[in-house]
Amino acid sequence: MTMAPARTSAQPNGQVARTPADGAPPIIETRGLRKAYGGVVALDGLDLIVPRASVGLLGANGAGKTTLIRTLLGLSKPTKGTGRVVGYDILTQGTQLRQHVGYMPEAEGLPSGTTAADFVGHMAEMSGLPARAARQRAADVLYQVGLAEERYRLIKGFSTGMRQRVKLATAIVHDPDLVFLDEPTAGLDPQGREEMLELVERIYRTMGIAVVFSSHILEDIERICDYVVILDNGRLVTSQPLAGIGDVQGTLVVQIEGDLAAFSSLLVERGYQVERGKDDMALNDLIVHFTDDEVYDAIRDAAVRLNASLRSLRSGSRTLEDIYLGDVGAMREAQDVVS
Amino acid sequence: MSSASAIPATYGEVFDRGYAHYDGRRQGRLAAWWALTAYSMKRAMGIRKPWTAKVVPFCLYLSAVIPVVVMVGAAALLPRAEIAGYPRYFDGIALVTWIFIATVAPEMLCVDRREHTLPFYFSRAITRSDYVLAKLAATVLLTMTLTVIPVILLWLGRQLVANDPGHAMRTHLDDLGKVMLIGVMLAIVGGVAGLVVASAIDRKAVAVAVIVAGELTLTAIAHFSFVAVHADWRRYFIFLSANNVFSAVVHRFFPASTLDETFMEIQASFSLQTYLLYLLALVAIGVLFVRWRYLPRE
Repeated sequence: MTMAPARTSAQPNGQVARTPADGAPPIIETRGLRKAYGGVVALDGLDLIVPRASVGLLGANGAGKTTLIRTLLGLSKPTKGTGRVVGYDILTQGTQLRQHVGYMPEAEGLPSGTTAADFVGHMAEMSGLPARAARQRAADVLYQVGLAEERYRLIKGFSTGMRQRVKLATAIVHDPDLVFLDEPTAGLDPQGREEMLELVERIYRTMGIAVVFSSHILEDIERICDYVVILDNGRLVTSQPLAGIGDVQGTLVVQIEGDLAAFSSLLVERGYQVERGKDDMALNDLIVHFTDDEVYDAIRDAAVRLNASLRSLRSGSRTLEDIYLGDVGAMREAQDVVS
Repeated sequence: MSSASAIPATYGEVFDRGYAHYDGRRQGRLAAWWALTAYSMKRAMGIRKPWTAKVVPFCLYLSAVIPVVVMVGAAALLPRAEIAGYPRYFDGIALVTWIFIATVAPEMLCVDRREHTLPFYFSRAITRSDYVLAKLAATVLLTMTLTVIPVILLWLGRQLVANDPGHAMRTHLDDLGKVMLIGVMLAIVGGVAGLVVASAIDRKAVAVAVIVAGELTLTAIAHFSFVAVHADWRRYFIFLSANNVFSAVVHRFFPASTLDETFMEIQASFSLQTYLLYLLALVAIGVLFVRWRYLPRE
């Protein structure tokens, strides 16, 4: 897991503590968290312990991501269960919690007849910052999200990408310990999406603010998150670090033009376990099991030594997509069996 | 030559400002509540908005203050000129007050709902009740600037044109308390009524029309019904309109008013306590209604 810079944060007891990213208490803890709307169960007994990280909250539409965020913000009362976010009880300390947590809602919702600086500054004041500090913070975060020049323009003249940036600025203007971003790339064009992902990445890596990034786009989460929580129909599918998936250890699938047996022998000599592809379509594939990242050097050296052309090299490890499809599928099958 | 002067005029350097954490004071829920109240008042008055947004509130203030200035000025310059009594003044500015409330109240609630900014507010250090109370406070405080300040000027003007202003002020100090109390009550009742309508309608223009037309229509219906019906119970028609009840309250505070004896406000003849209880009930029901409108729909 990539370390975020150490930061100072106010704690529930009023003390200011230095909380390094590693070894820090979890940012989110829930026990048996359940939320039902009449007969519809939106969250079904979630037990979560999420470390300070860039956390991807993954799930299909209707999986319960927004309900979970709203419940963790203390905006929606759970039907059952308890939870703490950055040390604050979600049932009894909602207003204190929200002074230290930011939220970027998914829905389009900015006042059109206001300047970005005015609205972001107002949101800072609404989080308890004194007026002067709020104005200063608004200018700073609008600079950070790339709207320094446009901050005195009316929001109604902004593009969708700029509006998303304003929303992001409102979420971090009070320097929270944790920020919930609900589908921040929704509705953005490819370039806008790219810029938004870079910004979200910076929030954790450079600013040291823990992020919960809700999305149904696997690629976005795989790219910027260190930790993933997967929900399906209100149930927890998995909660695990993303590190190790597909990079440090696993398998590589190699295709070459040349002597496959000799190539395989050279890799075995270097200590790697190698096997031939089993499917009819993959008989010319070599599957290389590895536990370190020197495997790429070994493959290159073997290709050079045999004067073989390397046609394809891809990860055969379990990706986030494998985890998502596999675990969600397994859970649904188990539910079908039970029912 | 100094080192500074050695730098060419075209020299420039770009620095990364980086990100600075905020380690200052966090003021909590009450400060957040007040921030929302103050911000709502500024927005409703058109502050930090284009000049067109300031025109209506400014004109309404002028409508309330100019008659006072003219009356006091005339009384000071012309020996026979008289300054209107408080009941007549309150009757005179009733429509201005309702238009003002119709301008302010929808700006408080309709805009946030229509532009979907509520999730931003509710994810801050306030509760939904705080939001409603902040909007209520903002509406009432703004309306008070129209219903209290001009009438204080009127009281002051009346004393200043007296032969002995110092003695007049001391003698009529209770009048000052009464007109201020009436102004505050009018602001509270009108503000709550305005917010009730604004909380039920998303479109600002529609809410404005409903508030003004609603109050005018109810007042007219009350008067026509009172005239048309000859039974004893017709006096209850006064409760159809908060405006009529206010006239009656003003008349109770200042009995020697210029109101015609045939007016419903006099003939209804309920006690002051009855009127005040009625207004209190209106306010309580109104606040509960607006609070209910902002409960989470789950």
